[in-house]
Amino acid sequence: MIANILDGIVLGLQFGLLATGLTLIYGLGGVLNLGYGQIAVTSAMAVALAMEAGIPILPAAALGLLIGGLFGLFLDLTILRPVYRLRGEARVLLSLLLTLGVSFIVDGFLNWRFPLKTLNLHIGGGAVEILGVPMRRGSLVASAITLVTFAGLFVFFGRTSLGRAIRSVIEDEEGARLIGIDPKKMLRLILVLSGVLAALVAVTRSMVAPVDTKSGLSITVFALIVTVVGGLGNVVGALLAGIILGIVNVIAADFIGSYISLIILLVAAAVTILIRPTGLLGVKE
Amino acid sequence: MLEVNGLSAGYQGNDVVHDVAFRVHQGEAVMIIGSNGAGKTTLFKTLCGLLSPSSGKVLFEGGDITGIPAERIARLGMRFVSAARHLFPRMTIEENLLLGAYPNKPEPETMSIVLDLFPRLAERWRQRAGTLSGGEQQMLAIGRALMSNPRLLVLDEPSTGLAPLVARAAYEALNVLRERGLTVLVTEQQVPLAMAFCDRGYVLENGFIRLEGTTEQLTANPAIRSAYLGVT
Repeated sequence: MIANILDGIVLGLQFGLLATGLTLIYGLGGVLNLGYGQIAVTSAMAVALAMEAGIPILPAAALGLLIGGLFGLFLDLTILRPVYRLRGEARVLLSLLLTLGVSFIVDGFLNWRFPLKTLNLHIGGGAVEILGVPMRRGSLVASAITLVTFAGLFVFFGRTSLGRAIRSVIEDEEGARLIGIDPKKMLRLILVLSGVLAALVAVTRSMVAPVDTKSGLSITVFALIVTVVGGLGNVVGALLAGIILGIVNVIAADFIGSYISLIILLVAAAVTILIRPTGLLGVKE
Repeated sequence: MLEVNGLSAGYQGNDVVHDVAFRVHQGEAVMIIGSNGAGKTTLFKTLCGLLSPSSGKVLFEGGDITGIPAERIARLGMRFVSAARHLFPRMTIEENLLLGAYPNKPEPETMSIVLDLFPRLAERWRQRAGTLSGGEQQMLAIGRALMSNPRLLVLDEPSTGLAPLVARAAYEALNVLRERGLTVLVTEQQVPLAMAFCDRGYVLENGFIRLEGTTEQLTANPAIRSAYLGVT
């Protein structure tokens, strides 16, 4: 049981980071990015190709993060432009359709060019015992990186003026404009940040399990479920929901079977919406 | 300091204010009074860049700011305090005030001026803005606007939703700022409050400026006395 919970936390931290990228874009700009998983996969392929070309792991990972950020920037500068002209529900719907289109194109391209390529980062060394449970070193490194990233995000959003400015747009866009904050610039910044986070999840995930070209859709679906449960636009909610659902996922897979775990996650998300429509830590509009 | 000429604006092509012209000089307090639905809020939203005018010109300190988005006008030194306040409810008072100075670091002097003016804000420093009373929220909205050391403060109905005593306290604070040389443009439905505060005023009716004059002239005008001051 302890082993399940620890494995669940390892998975949950990554869920949380995934959801953070998605939830911030939605909270800030009312944009739902269904091409989110494809950003992660594209970055993973970039890292895999770089390492095949003999580039060491750290610069290769850095390149992956850069690709992720550029992908986000590219979305902001191109297909999201017509989306920004709309408001409210129409904005969400158009963003959903256009990014879904991007995900098909990226998936098609990656499956055609790199059908068998996977990113699989091996972290050497034996298992480390935690609470009597032997944990793979890859899981621990991945979790440590994720935790440090979360700490960085909390400092950024809680303590820096730029982080506060981004939060102010989530809280009240008009209020932010009236004090001189340009919501469009903040949204562009968040798209870049979410791209980097997607890439980071791909890199850390590959330390635990291989990431291949077909992972995109499931990454987006996981991110979406965690985002809904955590509450839109809320980083703490994303982390909390990620850990809870990570544990649920591992336990469900262990006791019932991995084929059923996604269904259980969907049920958990549906129940959350029924009980708390704004998610665990969401705030009523 | 602010010069408005032939300004018409509204929503979806239907103008609510028509051919409005007025000016605000450095150091003045000027009011735009009018009944509910006269177009005061539409006019102010247009001035501060939340709405685009259909025609006309707005000059601020000699520069043309017509149709410039709100976030740029705010950075030029003209700060708008909306009747809806638009605070950041889940952020603390401290964070709301710090954001007022964004992107600059808040000047300690400005911060202490604001906290001297509104000591209640210092008492509730770490409280979330959403938990404040109406009067405290108005103080915070004004305080946040002041954090950037604006040259022109534009207030839309600062007495909205406030108890009479609290509204008067808000105007007392504005008076202190005025004496320090801040230029203020204000709309008000509770005309006596604005009359006690402003040098000059304009009367907006059905989207048109009908009258203008010094506060003395307006107070002496029988039509205004009966319509806005409750004197017959």
